[in-house]
Amino acid sequence: MPTQENNEDRIALLQGTLDLLILKTLLLGPCHGQGVARSIQRQSEEVLFVDHGSLYLALQRLEDKKLIQAKWGVSENNRKARFYSLTAKGRAELLEKTSQWKKLTRAMGLILEPQGEEV
Amino acid sequence: MFRRKRSAEDFAEEIRSHLELEADELRSEGMDQEEAHRRARVDFGSVRAARERFYMKSRWQWLDRLVRDLRFGFRSLRQSPGFALTAILTLALGVGANTAVFSVMNAVLLRSLPVADPHRLFYLRTSNPPRGTGTIDTTQTFSYPVYDALRNDKRALSPVIAYVPLSGNKVAVRYGAQPEEGEGDMVSGTFFSGLGVKLSRGRGFTEQDEKDHAPIAVISYNYWTRRFARNPDVLGSTLYVNAIGFTIIGIAAEGFEGLEPGASTDFWIPLQNRPELNAWGNAPEDGKIYTTNPTWWCLRLIGRIAPGVSRQQAVSALTPLFQRAAYVGLGSPMEGEKPPTLGLEEAKGFPGYSERFGKPLRLLMAMVGFVLLIALTNVAMLLMARNAARQREFSMRLALGAGRRDLLRQLLIESLMLVAAGGVLAWLFAIAATRALAAWAQIESSLAPDETVLIFALSILVLAALLFGLAPLRIALAAGPALALKSSAATSNVDAGKSRAAKAIVALQMTLCVVLLVGAGLLIRTLRNLENTPLGLHVDGLVVFGVKPEFKSVPQGIAFYQELMSKLRALPAVESVTVMGERLGSWWSNNSDMTVDGRLPDVPNGGSRTVRSNVVGPGFFTTLGVPVLAGRDFADSDTANSPHVGIINEQFAKRFFPNQNPLGRMIGTGDGRYQMTVVGVVKDHKYRSIDEGPIPMAWYMYAQIPIVGKMDVEMRVHGDPLAILPSARKVVQQMDPNLALIKPMTQRAQYELTISNQILFARLAGFFGLLAVVLVATGLYGTLAYRVSRRTAEIGVRMALGAARAQVVWMILRDSLLLTAFGVVAGIPLAIFVGRALSSSLYGVRPLDLVTYALAISGVTLVALAASAAPAGRAASIDPQKALREE
Repeated sequence: MPTQENNEDRIALLQGTLDLLILKTLLLGPCHGQGVARSIQRQSEEVLFVDHGSLYLALQRLEDKKLIQAKWGVSENNRKARFYSLTAKGRAELLEKTSQWKKLTRAMGLILEPQGEEV
Repeated sequence: MFRRKRSAEDFAEEIRSHLELEADELRSEGMDQEEAHRRARVDFGSVRAARERFYMKSRWQWLDRLVRDLRFGFRSLRQSPGFALTAILTLALGVGANTAVFSVMNAVLLRSLPVADPHRLFYLRTSNPPRGTGTIDTTQTFSYPVYDALRNDKRALSPVIAYVPLSGNKVAVRYGAQPEEGEGDMVSGTFFSGLGVKLSRGRGFTEQDEKDHAPIAVISYNYWTRRFARNPDVLGSTLYVNAIGFTIIGIAAEGFEGLEPGASTDFWIPLQNRPELNAWGNAPEDGKIYTTNPTWWCLRLIGRIAPGVSRQQAVSALTPLFQRAAYVGLGSPMEGEKPPTLGLEEAKGFPGYSERFGKPLRLLMAMVGFVLLIALTNVAMLLMARNAARQREFSMRLALGAGRRDLLRQLLIESLMLVAAGGVLAWLFAIAATRALAAWAQIESSLAPDETVLIFALSILVLAALLFGLAPLRIALAAGPALALKSSAATSNVDAGKSRAAKAIVALQMTLCVVLLVGAGLLIRTLRNLENTPLGLHVDGLVVFGVKPEFKSVPQGIAFYQELMSKLRALPAVESVTVMGERLGSWWSNNSDMTVDGRLPDVPNGGSRTVRSNVVGPGFFTTLGVPVLAGRDFADSDTANSPHVGIINEQFAKRFFPNQNPLGRMIGTGDGRYQMTVVGVVKDHKYRSIDEGPIPMAWYMYAQIPIVGKMDVEMRVHGDPLAILPSARKVVQQMDPNLALIKPMTQRAQYELTISNQILFARLAGFFGLLAVVLVATGLYGTLAYRVSRRTAEIGVRMALGAARAQVVWMILRDSLLLTAFGVVAGIPLAIFVGRALSSSLYGVRPLDLVTYALAISGVTLVALAASAAPAGRAASIDPQKALREE
């Protein structure tokens, strides 16, 4: 089997965050993949760069989990594109994941920036 | 889960659309078209990688991979068709033989009777009927008064059901115009309801039907299928049994074939009281039939034990009743006479099979178990050898990036393919073999493999798959990617531990092979002995058939048989014709005490007084070819009006007339009422069966005794004995259109039926012995050939250093001879053990028969030499230069 999955760790780390970002982006309304990528880049003030290959796989994964749904449509500039939108299940997931993320960042912050104690 | 939602094309389309959109956007930011397209592409990264990842993540992947693995496995098996074929056939034979024997065992020993709650059903048994009674079977049959007494006591056993065949053989039936024969039983009114056998159509019997002796019949599902092609119109039509009409009112549930041991009953009628339908087809004795003769113990009884009552409680509750009823018509027991006891025997299995087939089947199961063990180890060894030979291939694949899991999965899939192919073949083989077994064993009830058998076969296969999966595991894991690069064929596989394991397995196979060969040899010698046993008569050219006409009087019956014999004698190619009451070689015999000179003879040393007797026609011994030692044969001139004459055999003369001339002396029935003069002494000959010992015998002349009924006709003809049957049938039916020829066959075939079990057993044992030999030979050959091919370089070096070819050959042969020696040493004690277990099935050969052991040992030695010959030859023809250069 000629596959090499040596960067599995990195993908796993990205996965959770990328999924969350996609869901958040789609909360604003249906969008195609390219739009999602652009939107994430723009909203993060170009800090986050989305690997497009991973993005489409993530979209596919979310679709498989029925968190988002997709159908082919036409973009503003008359291009054929696949539009993704959030499902009810996706909304619930977004809420849960967001609160989890907040807890995580708070906990990380507490550890990384302890108040009143020298490192 | 199984349907892919998106095709890879759709995904590619989405990526293309992404690139367009991105380019559009870049252009709107002021980039020129070409640059925009380029940037979009660069930003995206590798389109191909994304598509590949999409593909790999898709849910069809496992199936894709499976298909690919299967294809690869198929290709790699096809590369070594010899290996694949050997493995599959070995599996098929081993598993198939086991499945077949198991399915017979399942049908015969393990399956329950298809009745409601079979665990509460018990056969009634007795120790010994009182003196002065006549019995069919000394422990299994009862008189009508006993039946009547027991069924009226409903405390312990309710109901008590009686059943009795209408004939010891088959009974004449007619449906429409053509006379046929069938197996029929007379049964209690509670037969179907009490056993809990459902009727698939119509109704069963009631107690009122039994009281009325109603002319109604229920046929078996099997008979309905076989004879009436499941025509529903058969209900309400008339079945003639011994020319008496019975209306068919029901068809029994599928799978229920009655309670007769080892037989399949075609129809049942309520207990009758007509002389034409006496139990066992016997002629009435002094006008009495089974219901009116209290001293004839002829009914089989089965009862359903009441809930909550133990077997012991039931026996003690019924014993007083039973012992009283046992003496009805006999007066009170004599001084010191032990009254008969009552017993109950579980009835949940199929009747009679356990006694007849239990032991041989268990032994066969053990034998095929050995065969299976050999087969499985064989395939495992073949697989190990093959995969060891492929170790460098594995290393190469590991080095090229295959995961260990991929390798392992590949090996498992290959084993699974072998097991699946072998399993399918095995199942087909088992079905055919089961049929053959049933035909040989003459088991008439259906033997179709059921779920139990399927589960049995599948569990063996799973075991095999696991074994075969684990065998290559070690080898696959032992192969590292570096191996391919650094080692050569000469050194990559010299693993002492592994070859020791293979040697142990071969030695084990040799052991099992010795045991199987000894077992098979003993049984085959038994069969030889049986077949070569002199019968004491000239059996070739004899043909026999039964007729069961109805007579109003004894003279009419005698006249019928006289006419029949003279008409048959007139047929072309017929040499002589006679009649007999009991057919020779049918297992049946009439045993009783006889008076000598008017009183029961004293027998020295407490020997048996029992005499076996038969009723026969004129020219009986001449027809059979039994030498008359003194006096004469019966003749046409011996009639009802001439003095009563009898003939005895040597044993009779020896026991009851020691050192005297028996001619002219008087002998008679046990009660002394019928007396006859001894006019002849004939040589001892086989009467009931081939494997019986000599026993005193006496013959009555049929035309002189006061009973006449069913007889068997024995004809000596020139040419093919069976060719006379059509014209004989014509003669019989001209005399009475209701008559069928009952069980027509050659007398030799009739005798051989008495050793059919032994024939079957010996043939099967021989077959399995042969199978074991072939399997062991292939296994040994495979192992040795593999070892020689592994040692090519080593042998090359040896020869280069001056080893002679003979030395190399001896080196290989010594290996296999050593293994054989180990196997033989381990096998002989085991074979002695098996021989002991077989001893009751042997005839004329001791369990420690030296010839058999010698043959078995030389057999495995020969196999070992034959299997080593080719590898040894190959080793000897190795060209040292070539062998060394190859590395």
